[in-house]
Amino acid sequence: MASPWIAIGALALVAIAIPLGMMVVSSLLRPTVEEQGKSATYESGEIPTGSTRIRFNIQYYMVALLFVIFDIETVLIFPWTVIYRSAVGSAGLVAALVPMLVFIGVLVIGLAWAWRNGAVRWVKSPRAEQRRQERQRQ
Amino acid sequence: MGAFETVVLQSGSGSGSAEGAPLTDTIGGLLGFGSNMGPGETLVAAFIGAFFIGNLMLAMTGVAGPWAKRKITAAFTDRIAVNRVGPFGLLIIVADAVRLLSKELVVPDGVDRPAWDIAPILMAGSAMLGFAVIPMGNGIQLADPETGLVYVFAVSSLASLGLVTAGYASNNKYSLLGGLRSIAQNIAYEIPLVVTAASVVIFAGTLRLSEIVAAQTEPLITIVGVSIPSWYAFVNPFAFVLFMAANLAEVGRNPFDIPEAPTEIVAGYQTEYSSVYFVLMYLGEFLHIFLGGAIIATIFLGGPAGPVLPGIIWFIIKIWAVFLFTQWMRSAIPRVRIDQLIEIGWKGMLVLSFANLVLTAVIVGLIA
Repeated sequence: MASPWIAIGALALVAIAIPLGMMVVSSLLRPTVEEQGKSATYESGEIPTGSTRIRFNIQYYMVALLFVIFDIETVLIFPWTVIYRSAVGSAGLVAALVPMLVFIGVLVIGLAWAWRNGAVRWVKSPRAEQRRQERQRQ
Repeated sequence: MGAFETVVLQSGSGSGSAEGAPLTDTIGGLLGFGSNMGPGETLVAAFIGAFFIGNLMLAMTGVAGPWAKRKITAAFTDRIAVNRVGPFGLLIIVADAVRLLSKELVVPDGVDRPAWDIAPILMAGSAMLGFAVIPMGNGIQLADPETGLVYVFAVSSLASLGLVTAGYASNNKYSLLGGLRSIAQNIAYEIPLVVTAASVVIFAGTLRLSEIVAAQTEPLITIVGVSIPSWYAFVNPFAFVLFMAANLAEVGRNPFDIPEAPTEIVAGYQTEYSSVYFVLMYLGEFLHIFLGGAIIATIFLGGPAGPVLPGIIWFIIKIWAVFLFTQWMRSAIPRVRIDQLIEIGWKGMLVLSFANLVLTAVIVGLIA
């Protein structure tokens, strides 16, 4: 009986080898023509302005923080789901269900708090808001 | 409950591989290695199996990407699409492969070099890795670890890493926006996806994918002589709908295709990629659609189960049905905005998926 992880490791190597092989084949086939201006990054045909390392919307960071909390929660839920049916049989419905309900309840309260604080509401920039109001007045 | 569990246990032990790698063992047997393979022999058999699985998926993606996608979209919009090269335009697959591989690779100014090269490999590789634990019928399952379901979700979310690497390393503002959007989208819909899958685990009581499939063989009800199997899509249709919607967001198809959004940010994270790198990103995307289809088929549609035809054929039919569904959505539904995406994900899908989990637990607890 072979260990499953040997096979998974073999597939991991194959999954890296196939893209690498395609890259090698392509490097043998493709031309390389040095040309001025070709390597400029695409900005709708204009000459690129400024750096790419720009400031971006804080909202992306907020949802990422929230994700970490809920992702850990899902990890903790999985073992419970596996034993749930047999636990109901041996310990009864209340003992199997209520602790998990409390655990999920705490996190739902956390979500409600984040919701009220606007962590999952997309905040528009003041300028976008101003333009929206201008459009409505017209 | 007693009867149900016995069936699960019987079918689990009946398949003859309580722990291990069915395909590896089969190949080992075919090569005459005997039942007790040494490490070297196991490696050889595992590599042959892995090569087979990898190329099977590559072939399906080859058919889907350059040909089926065009034909399906054309059928929805009343056009003909590719029909010049070969029968039904099928040889366009070969033509496109050669054409794309022989394109010049343009490396833009100021890209973050190792990261920019790694991202396409990561995207294509992570999707292919997920197929290791999928039972495809006829004993074609490369590995069957006890934590199969968790493994498949873990590996498929590696692609998010590739997306953000590609977006950040490209030194392009559209790419950066696309990368950020794709991360916001993937993490918002990852949790509903996993929690909905957890509600299926409550029924099955195991994370091993072959046992989840085996648990779905029992007949649910019999209507005029036709017995309907207890596929979890029938047992818990609400979870099935939630999972299909979350899966659309995970693979980035309409209405959730804002990471690419061609009318807004060119092509998102893949704007600066050309030649073979573009092929790899595209390949990764389609592999992910098929991986999503394979997960749906395994945990909701009874895996390779089906009448008359062999299991592997049914499995391929099921994942192509999910592929067709994503292409249908792509043609039929407009794109949501980023603020709508976050609201649907965090306020709608997340709450619904937890409600589904709790309700499932209560119902299973009451009838058990």
